[in-house]
Formats: sequence, C-alpha cells, structure tokens
Amino acid sequence: MNRRKLIQQLCAGFGSVGLTAMLEQQLGAAPLGHYAGPKMPGKAKNVIFLFLAGGPSQVDMFDYKPALLKYQGQRPGSADLRTERQTGGLLPSPFQFQKYGKSGIEVSELLPQMGTVIDDVCVIKSMYTFNPTHTPARSLIHSGSILATRPSLGAWISYGLGTENQNLPAFVALSPGGNGGGSLLRSGFLPAEYQGTPFSDSEEEPEKMIANLRNKWLDGQAQRKQLDAIQALNREFSKDFGADDFLEGRIQSMEAAYRMQFEAMDVFDIRKEAEPIREEYGKTPFGNGCLLARRLVEKGVRYVHVYHSAGQDWDDHKDIEKNLRKRCPDMDRAAAALIRDLKRRGLLDETLVVWGGEFGRTPVSESGTGRDHNPYGFTMWMAGGGVKGGLAYGNTDEFGFKAVENRVSIHDLHATILHQLGIDHTRLTYRYAGRDFRLTDVFGEVVKDILV
Amino acid sequence: MNRIALIAPLLVAGLSAQTPDSAFFEAKIRPVLAASCYGCHSSKMKSPMGGLVLDTKAGLRKGGATGPVLNTGKPEESRLLVALRYTDPHLQMPPSGKLAQPVLDNFTAWITAGAPDPRVDAPSSSASAPLRGMPVEAGRKWWAFQPVGERAAPVVKNPAWPSRKIDAFLLARMEEKGLSPSPEADKRTLAQRLYIDLLGYRPTYAEIEAFVNDAKPSAYQDLVERLLASPQYGEAWGRHWLDVARYAEDNPTSEATNPPYPYAWRYRDWVIEALNADMPYDRFVTLQLAADKMPGVKRTDLRALGYLGAAPVYHKDQRLSYDVISTFLSDDWDERVDAVSRGLLGLTVACARCHDHKFDPIPTKDYYGLASVFASTMRSERPTFDVDPAVEARFQFVQRRLFDLAYSRNLLTNEASTVVGSEERVNRWKQEIAALETEMEAMRERYPVLVQNLEKYWRDPSKQAKQAVTARRRPGASADPFMNTVYDAANFVDGSDANYTWITYKPGEPRDLPVFLRGNVASPGEPAPRKFLAVLSKGDERFRDGSGRLELAGKIFTDAAPLTARVIVNRVWAWHFGHPIVGTPSDFGTQGDKPTHPELLDDLAARFIANGWSLKWLHREILFSAAWRQASNRRAEGDRVDQGNSLLWRMNPRRLEIEAYRDSILRISGALDANLYGISQDLDAETNTRRTIYGRIGRGRMNGLLKLYDFPEASQTAPSRDLTTTPLQQLFVMNGPFLRAQAGLLAKAVEKEPDTDAQLRALYRKILARDPSPAEIDLGLTYLAQGKLEEYAHVLLATNEVLFQK
Repeated sequence: MNRRKLIQQLCAGFGSVGLTAMLEQQLGAAPLGHYAGPKMPGKAKNVIFLFLAGGPSQVDMFDYKPALLKYQGQRPGSADLRTERQTGGLLPSPFQFQKYGKSGIEVSELLPQMGTVIDDVCVIKSMYTFNPTHTPARSLIHSGSILATRPSLGAWISYGLGTENQNLPAFVALSPGGNGGGSLLRSGFLPAEYQGTPFSDSEEEPEKMIANLRNKWLDGQAQRKQLDAIQALNREFSKDFGADDFLEGRIQSMEAAYRMQFEAMDVFDIRKEAEPIREEYGKTPFGNGCLLARRLVEKGVRYVHVYHSAGQDWDDHKDIEKNLRKRCPDMDRAAAALIRDLKRRGLLDETLVVWGGEFGRTPVSESGTGRDHNPYGFTMWMAGGGVKGGLAYGNTDEFGFKAVENRVSIHDLHATILHQLGIDHTRLTYRYAGRDFRLTDVFGEVVKDILV
Repeated sequence: MNRIALIAPLLVAGLSAQTPDSAFFEAKIRPVLAASCYGCHSSKMKSPMGGLVLDTKAGLRKGGATGPVLNTGKPEESRLLVALRYTDPHLQMPPSGKLAQPVLDNFTAWITAGAPDPRVDAPSSSASAPLRGMPVEAGRKWWAFQPVGERAAPVVKNPAWPSRKIDAFLLARMEEKGLSPSPEADKRTLAQRLYIDLLGYRPTYAEIEAFVNDAKPSAYQDLVERLLASPQYGEAWGRHWLDVARYAEDNPTSEATNPPYPYAWRYRDWVIEALNADMPYDRFVTLQLAADKMPGVKRTDLRALGYLGAAPVYHKDQRLSYDVISTFLSDDWDERVDAVSRGLLGLTVACARCHDHKFDPIPTKDYYGLASVFASTMRSERPTFDVDPAVEARFQFVQRRLFDLAYSRNLLTNEASTVVGSEERVNRWKQEIAALETEMEAMRERYPVLVQNLEKYWRDPSKQAKQAVTARRRPGASADPFMNTVYDAANFVDGSDANYTWITYKPGEPRDLPVFLRGNVASPGEPAPRKFLAVLSKGDERFRDGSGRLELAGKIFTDAAPLTARVIVNRVWAWHFGHPIVGTPSDFGTQGDKPTHPELLDDLAARFIANGWSLKWLHREILFSAAWRQASNRRAEGDRVDQGNSLLWRMNPRRLEIEAYRDSILRISGALDANLYGISQDLDAETNTRRTIYGRIGRGRMNGLLKLYDFPEASQTAPSRDLTTTPLQQLFVMNGPFLRAQAGLLAKAVEKEPDTDAQLRALYRKILARDPSPAEIDLGLTYLAQGKLEEYAHVLLATNEVLFQK
C-alpha cells in the first residue's frame, strides 16, 4: 500500500479527482430503463399524479347534472342507483356551474381557478372502477390490481424508463406528514429500488422532509473530509480485493448521496421560490406539494404522486356541501397553479398531470347531506403530456351515476399514461412467479380520442 | 380428423426406402412439431418462447432470438437437432423429455435431405396446437419431478481439490470449460465468512485470532461445529426462512376485519428454536402446516401454525355484496396456495386460478383442490397453555364469531342509517353476543385468561365503537399467553341477507370448492375436492382428513419429496453461496431456470433426504467443501469464460443483508442486546439494540430501515432478495443517528488508550477486527490532527469493509 498516495488522496479531496469524472459520465448517460418495446408517439417525460383519497364528488365539481334538481329527492324508477350503503333520493349539487374558457367546459363554483386553465385540461367524465371499497379501489388505481401486492404505477414507470437524475429517487410521493400512500408506493415484485420514496409536504424545510438529509455534526467541508477518508479506505480495499461491482457501486453511491444532500437541500426547498409563485400555489401542504412536484420534475424526477391529505378526506358520507367548501379552495388553487406554472415554463408538454381519486360519489344522498361511494361513474382529468386541452370526454347517465358514453376504466387510464410516456402497456412486463406481469394485466385500451 | 392423418398410413410403408420429401415432413416431422413444440413455439402466441415459431415455414427457416435452428443438409450443425438430442445441458427440447430415438433419426434424415417443408404460410388451424397447459402425463417427465438419487462423483483431472462430493461435480464442469477453481481463502476471511454465514454477524478480533491461531487440523471443522451449535445460528437462519414464510405481524391494510397479529412473534421464536434444534425439514414444515392435526405434538409446537395463522388477509367490509366478499375470501385462499406451492414446492400453482397453467402441468382443478384445503382452514388464537380440547375447539370458534358480531354491532351502531333495518339486526346480534357471553362466563373460574381474552367483545360498545370501526392499526405485539394459529373450519360466505354479508365458519367441517371458471367466484364449474397436485401424486390424490392439511404435508414429503428436497436444497445452497443452482428458487416449472448442475442438485437432494432432512447436515456438506472455502477475488480467465460465476470457480463475495449489517455494527459498538427471543420491538426506537430479527415487521408499513435495505415485502413469499445500492442508504450511513451513536460509543471505549496512535489501533481492532497498516495509521493520524475520534470511528464503520464480505 502506498502510504503517501493514500494521504494525498485524503488531502487533495478524493472526490475531486478521477471519480468525479466517472460520475459525470454516468450521469450524462441515458437513463437506465428496462422498457424494451416499441416507442409510442407520446411525448411526456414525467408524470404528476394529484390524488384525492376518499372519492371526490364528480357531480359537485365537473359533471353538471340538471336532472338532479328536476328529480330532487326522488329515485326515478328507470335508474338503478343502488350502492353499498342505504341512500335516499337524488341530491342536487348545491354548487353553481358555469362555462369556462373557449371550450366552454362546465365547472362548479368550487373550482374557479381550474376554470381559468380549463382549456388546457381534458376532463374525463366517464371513469369507472371495479370496487366500491376504499382500500381495494385505491390499490386498483395505484397498481392496476385490488391485490395489495402488485407494483405501483410509479414503480412500473421508474422501472420502465429509469431515472434522469441519479441524485434523486425516480418515484417520489408527497403528502402531509409523509405517510400518504403507505404501502401503495410499493415496488411489489419489481426490485426494491423502484419503490416510491415518501416525503412530507407539510414541512417546508428539506431536512425535515428527508430522513438523514443533513449531517447534524459536520459542515459541508468537514463532511467532505470525512467522506474522503471513507473513500480513500474504500479505494484501498478495492485495490486489494480487485474489481467488484458492488464495491465500485457503493463508492459512487456515496458520492451521489453527498451531492444529493446539496441538490435536495436546493430542490426540496420551496422557500427558494419567489413569493408571487408561492402565493399562486398557496402555502398549504397541497400547494407546497404541487410546487415541489414541479421543482422535482424539472430536475428529472420521473413520477411524483401528490396526496392532497394524509387520510381519505374526500370521503363525504355526510355534510358534503360544508366539507367541499372547506376543502376545495386550496386544492383548486394549487392544481390550477401547477398547470399554469408548467405551461409558463414550457414544461406542460412533457409533463402529464393526472387528477382524481379512487372512485366518485353517488348522485343520491346518504344520510341526507352526504353521498356514498360510487365506482360506476366518476370524473378524472389530465393535462399536458400530449393530452388534448379543453376537451370534456365521455359522459355519465343523466344523473351522473354510471359512465355510459366513452367509458374509461382504470386500466385504460394506465394504458394511456404509459402510452404518453412512450410505453406500449402490453410490452412493459416483468417476469415473476412463472409469468409475465403487466400493470394493465390483460386489460387496458389507450384512450386515443383524447390525445393530441 | 384431418386429412393428414388419413393419408399418412399410406405413405409410411414406402418411407424407409425413400428420400425424405414433403410427404415425409407431413407424416413424420409435422405431427411431432405439432404435438411437442407448438405449445411454446407458435405464431399464434404473443411472445413465443425464445422468439422461435415452428408452425410456419418462415418461422422454422428464420429461427429464434439466438439465430437459425436449421442448417439444411447439415444435421450436426442444426440447433433444432442439438436441442432434440439432449446433448447440450443448456439446450434440451422438448422440456418434457427427450423424444424417442426413431423420431430423432427421422429429424436427422429430414434435415440431411434439405429439410423439405411444404407448408404454405398463414398457419393452418388444423396443425397448430392451441396454447394450453402441458398435459399432466407429459408433465410427469419434467426434470424437477423425477426421483432423486445419489450419483457417482464424476471423474476429475485434479482429484486433490475436491474435499466433499459436491466439489467433484463443480470441478468436473469447470474442467470441461478449461477452468480451475480459486485457491482457498485465507483463514481470517474464512472466519469472517463463517460467522456472517452461520451467526449473521461479524466476528470480533479475538474470535478471528482464536481461529487463525488454532493450528489443529480440525480447526475449521471445530469452528463450523461450534457455530452450528450456537443459538445465534437459529437467529440468522430463521430469518432466511421467514422470507419464504412471508412472516409479518399485521396485514397489508390492517383494518377493522383484518387487524394485526399480536402473537405472530411466537411463530418467529418457534422457527429459531426449531432450527437450533436441527428439527428435520420434513417435520419443520409439517408442523407449520398441520401441527394441530398431528398426534403427540407438544403444545409449544403449535406456535408453528403461525405460518398459516398470521398469513395476509384482506379487509372485508360486510356491507359489500356476496360476490365481492366471496372474491376477497378467495384471494385469501389464493395467497395460501401461492405461499405453499412456490415456497415449498417451487411451483407457480396460483397461475392456474383462472385457466389451466399455461406452461406447467397444473390444471385449474388442481388449483382448486389445494384452495379447498385452505377454504377448510380458519385462523384462530389459541392459548399457549393446555386446555380441555373441547373447550379449546369452542373457544376458537366463539372468538371469531364474537369478533364478527362485535364489529358488526359497532359498525351499524355508528352508521345506523347506512343499512336498511340496522336496528333490528343490531338487536339480534346483541342477543347472540349476550348468549355467548353467558356461555363463556361459565368457564371463567376454570379458564380466567380465556374469558379475559373475549371480554372486549361484550363490553359496552360505545366506549370502543369508534376505534373498532375506523382504526387502522399498526403492528402491536402482545405478550398475552396466546398464539396465532389455525384450525379446521369450513369458510362460507352467507349471502342470505342482501344488505349485510357474513362469513361463517363450520368447525371440523371441510369445504370442497368448485372450479371457479376464469377465477370468477360467480361462475362455479365442476367440483374440485381437496387433493394434491395430480402431476406429483402417486396413486390417490384425495385428502379426507378434515381440511387435508396433514395429508398435504404428507404428500409434500412423500410423493413430492424429490421436488421438495430439490427446492430447499437449492435455497440453502443460495443462502450459503450467494447464487442458487436453479436461478429461480420459487419456480422449478418450465418457465423457471434449469439447474446449472443438475446431477449435483439431484445427488445433494437425495443425500439430504437420506440424512433425515437435516439442515445442519446440509450446512456441513456445503461448508466443508473446497468450493465454499475458495477465495472470492475475480480472475481474468474465470471472467472470460464465466463472468456470472455460475460454475463457482470462485466464492461469491456478498453484501451483508440489513440484519447482518445492523447486528454487526451493534456488536462492534458493544451495544448489542444478545438476549434470545421475545416480543417484537420497533426497530426505529433508539433504545432498541436487539438483533434485527426481533424488530417489528409490517405488511402495510414496512420499517424504513428494512425498506431502505431491500427487505422483501412480506405480503407474499419471497424467492430471494435483490440487493441494491442507493444514495438514500448512504445518507443513512453518513448522516443517520444510528451509526453516529455507535461511533460515539466506540470513541468512548478507546478514549482511555494512551495516545492517538493506540486509540486508532484499538478502533481498528474493534471495527474492522484487524490491525491497521502503517499507511492506514498515517491516514487516521492525519485526519485526527483536526477531526474527532468519534468521526473517525464513523469513518471506519462506514467503509465498504464492514458491509462487504470477501
């Protein structure tokens, strides 16, 4: 062992020599995705999924149904409006709807900000799912299966396309407190590195959002010195042992972690945004989350899932009017700001924004003032990423209960998201337990009508 | 009947005298292709195996992903014939077994004649077989199902190298490829390897020195024996098994109807004890499947039933419809079928839930035969102490019934308006609860603990209602004297109340499911009584004793013994060597990998059985081999021939798994609480210095540290762990409080040394279990001229040398 050289490495700052060049080379290289199928025409690079757990009410937001007023309190004989719980007569939306934009899409008074960007949004009114219970339905929309074992959409996408920034996780989930999503961020049978990494957006300081992000004992320079000592010993160990992928990989990974501290301190710090921007998004967890999502995709994070709340707040079995009036403003403001901001920065074309919950709600009342779960018909919207703006797609029946026209299943939604990322959903497969698994299982049709 | 079959007999008579032509193809070649090849190589498939299509002329001429399969006129150079002849161990077709010699002769003659192929493309429907499962009869010929038998050790050129029989098999393959094995690793390395492998943590300086300085010829054997006899062996190897057993203490969602398992940890302890006692593998597994049905079993062995009793189950909101609840319940059974078939038999039986297995000889009827076993089995909590069997049986039933009743009462009391006629129902349930309360209270004097366990169900609901309905519970272990187990009880869904669906249990009764067509519980097909897989059965497949769990275990260790032994031997091999012989440890079917050393696997499996299914025997056989003792450094000639090291020309170095990493660091710092067994604790608690195996394992929310280091998700059986290296792991190492705290303890421990030089040396001995080189001393002194001792302890803890084993 060459004593002088070892010490030189320490004093010169080991990370500044050959290794850095090697790392830069690695970062410059194409992202390491596993998708090997044909390239689809979609042009999105990233996805931001805004998730409203609990089941937001379509008939109070986007799916305007005058018939609810006409038949208020009744259950017209022609319609089978049964769901799991006992429900009463039709409950008209207490909110006014008005047409917005050139497209004239109707949006309720709950979402005035969304109204201002509606010409960039494709509202899908004909979503349906297969399960009326939160957990399985949420599993389905996250992973394409009600079984709590399959990989999450974000994991599939990270697996398929790899990451564009080795210093940050490819799949990030943001929620108040950081626990939103829970096991829904799973990688399932995919390698563990593709699981979602959760962060809290109710914090504004990066070091409170990311475990172990900051070294509490050493400043950057002292830490560099400590890392140089580690790396000098690692190098010697490698020299002694010989070439090994793990040994080399961990040396690089330590450098990446070192840089990530600074990069994440920067990227995750929304306080660095100008005040008008902060105001535009709103300084709530969801506002912060949407803003942070934009910052992350700008830096090459592939998939960001933003949970509006930590629980399933949008589960309005009662008092829906009061609750929605309270809950919608910050959601509306942040979601609209995200679209506006992405567009201003020229990022909307390459970023697909998806909005929705695990199902919708009934047009009939539950306990007089609420609405029950409704898997048969509900609304989601998409914006950017090569999806047509200013389009209202599909329809529910006259009460907004069942999707009847241009029905879109969860698997169709997934197929479309993958398609816009350039992935053929039938070709993104993983061999496990004896067969090739797909996000869309044996289902899924790309909704071509809504694509640019 | 097609036309070809009619004309074929006319042609056959003259064939022998005739040069192969189109008619020869139709009579002799095409039927074989259709019967033996199209199942996997058809243009009708989305992705034919190996990209090879044989039911079109173009496909046959073009070949597959790895090139042409025909060299017309030259049979010896045609890969089609190489595959059919079974001469290349890596290219043998059809997988169900070698075709008869006359058939091979026909192919040879046909290729020699230029492989005439009269087919006109657009494949004719008559000749292409539809995609469906391998027939059971053909499946019996699959390699993994063949009997195992001891094989003669192959002759090797270098007879001095092998020290165990497995070495001869390995060396023969290396010599075939012109490779030689690596030299034996040095004694320090061997000591480290043995401790990490058998005990799951790094040895101390003193432990290494003791071995290095032990000059006795038996030093190595002695160390292996000592470590195998140490109770920490069970902690390290128990964890391997728990990956296969998808052990955890809660459920993926842990909602009101599928709360956490407070006593699952007793199953974990049982696994550790059983492995320490070298319980034969057949008994080890049989107890886990059916301890309650075996005569003369000690009560403590009922803990083994946690394998089924703490299995993942889904939440079932009883307001859902009959069909939805039935589907959820069948998902529970499916999980058991999958865990047992992949975990114990290396077969993907769950693929046959919706249709006959597309690749393996497993019809849906076999799937439902196994699912019926689990539809006849119910989870229960049993006391750890002996009780009258009749009381215990009643207790198990009543406990679940009360659980369901109390849950339903609370649910409808809270959300009274949600189900039509709630009040009437709630009153009815309250009456049943009261009746059960009276019944159970009657035994309070004799079994106070049992009654205390049930009290919560008849207590005033208003005080607990909210919690029972909405709480999403985190894993919380309890030290109460109970075990999570199972017993025989048929599961049924009662759909008689359209607004409120019950799951009912009939103790002691079995339930034979029908085949559910396309996996749909609303489409019952033919009956599928409890039974074993046809392809593995000899004689009677049916189970008759209750659920059939004991008979299932019996079949696994008699009729299926060769497969069972191959699967566990392959797993143990992988846990020792870092790579399995069969690359897909939970799939020995046609879609899995073929063994790299089939004779070795057969021989080892046969001797494993002959040695009483003793895992410690298997450990010795492997650890005493020359192969395991090889150095792990790469060599240019090895990399050239076999970079993936499938021939084991060197030992595989390994990255420590999280358990060994964390436990080693705690042991190095002196903080390790080495007590065995007991209730689980949160791994994130700073005060938790127990071995990692005693940490709480969640299915819904996995502990962050475990997740960070590739711990498998515990909702399904894990074939192996993928070990990744990520920046977030390094943040834990560099910035996390755990290593820093251990570094602080270490610095404190060496403070008393007279000078910095001595402190450094002491740190090296404690952390890296060796003395530093002069260069390393200089490096450390240079650092410490300004930095703190604690920081340098952290440096050493963070090095690759701690996480990596040569």
